[in-house]
Amino acid sequence: MTATSDREQIAALAARANDNRVNLDFETEGMTLNMGPQHPATHGTLRIVARLDGEQVISAEPVPGYMHRGYEKLVEVRSYPQINTLVNRIDWLGSFANEVPFILAAEKLMGVEAPPRAQWIRTILFEMSRIANISLFLGDYGLQLGAMTAGFYAFRDREHVLNQIEAATGGRFHPNFDRIGGLKDDLPKGWITDSHRAMDKLLAFCDELDDLLVGNEIFQSRTRGIGVIPRDIALSYGLSGANLRASGVDWDLRRDSCPPGLVYDQADWKVWTHPDGDCFGRTWVRLQETREAALIVKQLLDTIPSGPVMAKVPRIIKVPEGEAYVETENPLGAMGYYIISKGDLVPFRVKIRSASFNNISVVPWVARGAYVPDLISILGSLYFILGDIDR
Amino acid sequence: MGLVESGKLPKSLNKLLSISRKYSIWAYQWGLACCAIEMGAAFASPRYDVMRLGVIPFPASPRQADLVVIAGTVTDKLAPAVVRLYEQMPDPKYVISMGSCANCGGPYWDSYSVTKGVDQLIPVDVYVPGCPPRPEALLEGILLLQERIAHEDMADRWKGEPIVVG
Amino acid sequence: MSQLSSADTTTETPAEEATEVEIDERRQAVLDELTARLGDAVVGSHIRPGDDLWVRVERAAWPEAAQVAKALGYTWFDFLSGIDWLPSPFGRDMDAQVDLQVSGAPVKEPAPLVQGYAGGDTRFQVFARLYSIAAGMGIHFKADLPDDELSIGTWSRTYFGADWHERETAEMFGFHFEGHPHLVKLYLPADFQGFPLRKDFPLLARRVRPWPGIVDVEPMPGGDESEGEGE
Repeated sequence: MTATSDREQIAALAARANDNRVNLDFETEGMTLNMGPQHPATHGTLRIVARLDGEQVISAEPVPGYMHRGYEKLVEVRSYPQINTLVNRIDWLGSFANEVPFILAAEKLMGVEAPPRAQWIRTILFEMSRIANISLFLGDYGLQLGAMTAGFYAFRDREHVLNQIEAATGGRFHPNFDRIGGLKDDLPKGWITDSHRAMDKLLAFCDELDDLLVGNEIFQSRTRGIGVIPRDIALSYGLSGANLRASGVDWDLRRDSCPPGLVYDQADWKVWTHPDGDCFGRTWVRLQETREAALIVKQLLDTIPSGPVMAKVPRIIKVPEGEAYVETENPLGAMGYYIISKGDLVPFRVKIRSASFNNISVVPWVARGAYVPDLISILGSLYFILGDIDR
Repeated sequence: MGLVESGKLPKSLNKLLSISRKYSIWAYQWGLACCAIEMGAAFASPRYDVMRLGVIPFPASPRQADLVVIAGTVTDKLAPAVVRLYEQMPDPKYVISMGSCANCGGPYWDSYSVTKGVDQLIPVDVYVPGCPPRPEALLEGILLLQERIAHEDMADRWKGEPIVVG
Repeated sequence: MSQLSSADTTTETPAEEATEVEIDERRQAVLDELTARLGDAVVGSHIRPGDDLWVRVERAAWPEAAQVAKALGYTWFDFLSGIDWLPSPFGRDMDAQVDLQVSGAPVKEPAPLVQGYAGGDTRFQVFARLYSIAAGMGIHFKADLPDDELSIGTWSRTYFGADWHERETAEMFGFHFEGHPHLVKLYLPADFQGFPLRKDFPLLARRVRPWPGIVDVEPMPGGDESEGEGE
């Protein structure tokens, strides 16, 4: 990477940035800071090329693609059950949540609906993967900001949820449990009691982190007022999930347009928003979401109806011709699958709308004018999974 | 240390060195995809705790690492970075390929952008299969690697076949 | 309301039908509004009652459609991508027809090129989705791209999020977005050849070696025999 002292170039960059937050009064040399592809703050292989003026970031451009596996091409040569296996690996922290919108879109085209018991279990597992996902964020974000303890706590308590997911589905990470028309299996014996216990531990973990991390003064001073994303910008970039709610947009797909096949209306819960739109707001909203998710799971566990977990579907799945789009509120934000079917064993085209892709595209905007250490706060708080960006 | 490389070291001294190396592996984690999280669980979580095996998981740079765990999908765009990382490590160096993607491409075996197996780029000592492998599987891979290191003649480092955990 | 009621209700019940018609009217109203503002530029549309709305616009009116939709409250940018309607010249095993003919396989007529909802005349289409949080509805926009001029105006001035989506679409399909500030490759290495999401881009690994799990589509014991083999 070249370091240039060409002040005009910096001025031109700043002019392109068209933003008065950049201060050019200091006669500092510009330089290019290259983070990644392997960098702890990118938890994965994202590369950030930042132009600096002193310690201030003039422009930061993420370079994704180091994890691009070509999902949209690969799914065109795979049958629907095979795709189900594959899409688990998009957002690998909340794997089950990736399956659900895909299965719901296919169900919509086929006109089948899962039996109530399957819908309940689906929702429970969906929320459990949300907890598995976001609890790691809380730990990892602390780790990035220098609070090592939070990371160990998160890895410790996350195991409780993973154990429950594993007990129900057989997979710690990639359950591949959802089927068109229902679920692979019913719950094992004693799972509901164990899950209650696990959720209690998770609620305690949330309280712990509330004190330990979010209530910490150093943490607050590193995140409050940093990386502010206003409402309009967030909408225009297509941010979703906690990133959007932290900018004051009261919108949650689970509550506002929950697709048929999930039973969020059967639990009493709350959507949290934060008015500030800064790093702290995003972390805080995520912490509340983890807590709400645990509460949703606890409520739904008590009301699971009995019955079968699989509707009648043909053994060889051919999806009728048509187009369907289903979007759900995944741990990282809105995730959707646009399926175009021509009545074959394989879909004709699947567009995967992943949340992190949009969430991370705001980085050039929000990092402008920030300081280098703040860049870590901002990147961490936007919370992305590389597989979800690159697909 | 010219003696070590030329293989002229007395046997007993060689053994002592090998045992010391066995219990002081500095492992650089190259977490790429899903496997990175299981590797994190193995390395950072109190439940699996890799340090009890004599593995120190947090070197700041590949230049002070003895072992690199390639955990996840390697793409063609990333391949040069993997090679550069390997070249930065001092000898003797060891590579664990963790997960199906790093072993052979895994579920992306037909992709246009994924490198089908990290062993096309760098020599691999231990293959840990799974998608992703459980943390226990990675620990088993590390134990097997330690066995190899303990009985290894440092001069002919590359004599043996790779180990497949499983 | 008992706990099971929402799951048990099917589309046959009168209550559900009533809401469907209502939502359908809402979508029709949006479509009418779009037609009124865009005029002749709206060349096709499709409504699935209670679910979604598809609107196909002229290529020249593509940027304007975004502005109009934004003015109508569709402020949340969902995604933008492309479609290649060409039926795949390769089967699922990615064997080219020309190769099969050499080994004596019968010549297969290529399937006709059929576009999806809201119609279309060309092989390539751009499609995008916008969402209105206030109305709780989304619109799918589509536009035709003629083969000899694969270029269309950019949305990145109206929706900042379209920036990356257009870069992705450009490298995957080979489209050009006029007025895009920085249309370079996003995912693929700079020297990558070809446009992977076009249907005539083969997955070479499949051509070299048939998929090892192909047994999956063989008829299962007790399954419906007629639905056995794929192509």
